[in-house]
Amino acid sequence: MGSKMKRISDASRGKIASMEHRLSGALRPIQPRKEFVHGIAQRIRTTPRVAFVDRIASWHIIAILIAVLVSLTVFLAVLGRALLSLVDKKRTART
Amino acid sequence: MPEPEEQDFLLRASQGDQEAFGILYETYVERIYNYVYYRTGNIHDAEDLTAHVFFRAMHHIPTYTDRGVPFSAWLYRIAHNLIANWHRDRSRHQEIPLSDAPTLHYKGEPPETALEQTQERDALLRLIRHLPAERQHLLILKFVEHMSNSEIGETMDRSEGAVKSLYHRTLLSLRDELEELDPGE
Repeated sequence: MGSKMKRISDASRGKIASMEHRLSGALRPIQPRKEFVHGIAQRIRTTPRVAFVDRIASWHIIAILIAVLVSLTVFLAVLGRALLSLVDKKRTART
Repeated sequence: MPEPEEQDFLLRASQGDQEAFGILYETYVERIYNYVYYRTGNIHDAEDLTAHVFFRAMHHIPTYTDRGVPFSAWLYRIAHNLIANWHRDRSRHQEIPLSDAPTLHYKGEPPETALEQTQERDALLRLIRHLPAERQHLLILKFVEHMSNSEIGETMDRSEGAVKSLYHRTLLSLRDELEELDPGE
């Protein structure tokens, strides 16, 4: 039983070693083209990213303003309805 | 790049310093390019997607939060998502054209042997590209980046033991698939 297990383990180790050998031949570091690397580096350094960051910040402010405006409108609408129903109640009580 | 220095560049980049992001780009461009190249199988898409990875990273870096994993893990994540979209967009994606494959020199060997080796290599790369994404990632980190299991674990957010076990399973399953392709071996 023990020797059988050892044989299986040796076989699996052998398989792994042979695969490692093949993989190290197939998967090798590739150098990207220099023009490609420099081109992207230049674009990164010249893209107006600060403006983009500012835009994100202003989006946040706009989103908050819209949320405040919507909440205010809803609040005023509810208040208006409450006042109207109060006035109506008073009218019906008088009549 | 030492970690404290990288943290400094990350902080500056997240505050809009393009020069700092440029340095991070130069540090990681080859790694991301290699990852994308081996996942897609052709140079044209590798360049296109690598550029996308860094522009996406640049736009999202103000929201980057350090969760204790290497910065490269964040870049690999972006690359992985873009490659997944790339695969989805192409029902029939290109295989490695021989002219695109990195040239390997087999000194002193007859041309037939070299051709045989190139074909064998292409077959193996095709098999690798059909593996689940995390197994491909593991093999790339191991054989292209020459990372240790613990470094791979940090990058892939797994324990060293889990990496070791996944590595063995991947190699054995690759070996079985190769045997199925060529039972005479």
